[in-house]
Amino acid sequence: MSDDLLIEATGVEKWFGAVKVLDRVNFFVRRGEVVVLIGPSGSGKTTLLRCINHLEPIQNGRIAVNGALIGYRERNGRLIPDAERNIAVQRRDVGMVFQRFNLFANMNALQNVSLAPRLLRGTPKAQAEEQARALLARVGLPDKANAFPTALSGGQQQRVAIARALAMQPAVLLFDEPTSALDPEMVGEVLAVMRDLALSGMTMVVVTHEMGFARQVADRVTVMADGRIIEEGHPEAVFTDPQHTKTRALLGAVLH
Amino acid sequence: MHFDWPYFWAQLLTPSSAFLDGLGLTVIMAVSAQILGFIFGLILAFGRLSPNKFLNGLAATYIWVVRGTPLLVQIVFIYNGLAAAGIVSFNDIKIAGIVFPGNLQAGILALAINEAAYMAEIYRAGIGAVDRGQFEAAKALGMPPAMMMRHVVLPQAFRIILLPIGNQFNIMLKNTTLVSVIGVSEMLLVTETINSATFRTFELYAVVALYFLLLTSLWNLFMGWAERHFALGRPAPEAPRAALETPA
Repeated sequence: MSDDLLIEATGVEKWFGAVKVLDRVNFFVRRGEVVVLIGPSGSGKTTLLRCINHLEPIQNGRIAVNGALIGYRERNGRLIPDAERNIAVQRRDVGMVFQRFNLFANMNALQNVSLAPRLLRGTPKAQAEEQARALLARVGLPDKANAFPTALSGGQQQRVAIARALAMQPAVLLFDEPTSALDPEMVGEVLAVMRDLALSGMTMVVVTHEMGFARQVADRVTVMADGRIIEEGHPEAVFTDPQHTKTRALLGAVLH
Repeated sequence: MHFDWPYFWAQLLTPSSAFLDGLGLTVIMAVSAQILGFIFGLILAFGRLSPNKFLNGLAATYIWVVRGTPLLVQIVFIYNGLAAAGIVSFNDIKIAGIVFPGNLQAGILALAINEAAYMAEIYRAGIGAVDRGQFEAAKALGMPPAMMMRHVVLPQAFRIILLPIGNQFNIMLKNTTLVSVIGVSEMLLVTETINSATFRTFELYAVVALYFLLLTSLWNLFMGWAERHFALGRPAPEAPRAALETPA
């Protein structure tokens, strides 16, 4: 196992009841890499993303983040579920941005961003808030510190959510269709923030239908269908010369 | 029918000190039983939400039994029943010169035990009504379950259950009258005592009803304020308008 592998998922299998949603998935992300996961709906890309920080349990295989198994510990060669407390500690290094933003409704933007560092990293309040203001400025919302989520547009909420994830200084950021719930005119502002993050060297795994973003920003594009990874490669290669018929069908459906 | 207006007004506007003591007891019982009910209820709700089958079953059984039996029976059972069986006798306690009678202790306890069962279900409904995404966001940041509950879920659940909580205390204020059966001199028992000497039954019960209406009305006013104050997602007072403007 190489040092620069931040996420190593091998032989991952998952069922929802009788439906197999992940089928022997091997997925690796190197430090500093931006990987975009694409695929038709129901292909398992969001599920795979949610398994990486163990929001979903897996039934087979193993997922390691930063070299440590997540969600399970190994005992006598068998994997047993890990304690919730240990999983929580590991999640602190894995930021997540959700399709529906999920900003804490009982807090304003500043509190949303500064809460986790205060509680989980022991950052003093004043320092956490100063850092939160800097992050809000970084996502283009320096004047929204006191705004509650209901007073923000979708695009603004998503940018606050990105700032909230960044506040924990995670090793990797997971994006679960971050622009799918946005009105079209707000997609650009969120993608711009994500592009800046990618340029700053952030390790990112992005599930999206934004092919333009994938093409411009991704180091690698991973295509999923029916719970399997069917194709993987440099975005130019995948977009200009897709090998798999399902990739061609997907790109045809999305691009035209 | 003769309604003795002067007597009615006198009782209403210049109540006897015994009646005022009864009023005090009513409020003390209701407030303390409600606070205890909030606390026991939260513990029970966590039991009901626990994946641990034993804790879950224990909480479910408690709620089943308490909600399935009359409060009046519970009060008599706890004060007289337990004492008759030699399990618990409630004796007067003197704290800082104030006597805290055994029947008052039993009454508050019975009201609290009863209230906890209802509060548990209200908490459970409130926690269940918080958007799943809020739980996931807290988990994804790395919060352990208790921290997620305290900082994210319960504050939102509290706002959701504010109205049912208002109902519960309203009911609680009135349910204190049931404790009169074990001899606690709250407003109703004091009224009964005065009535047995004066036989101004209509006037006296009209007065006690009006005092309860006064108590519940004051509570309504408070709840109206609380509802406005704790409305979920209320924009910060310092920037209510600017926040709604569209981004540049």
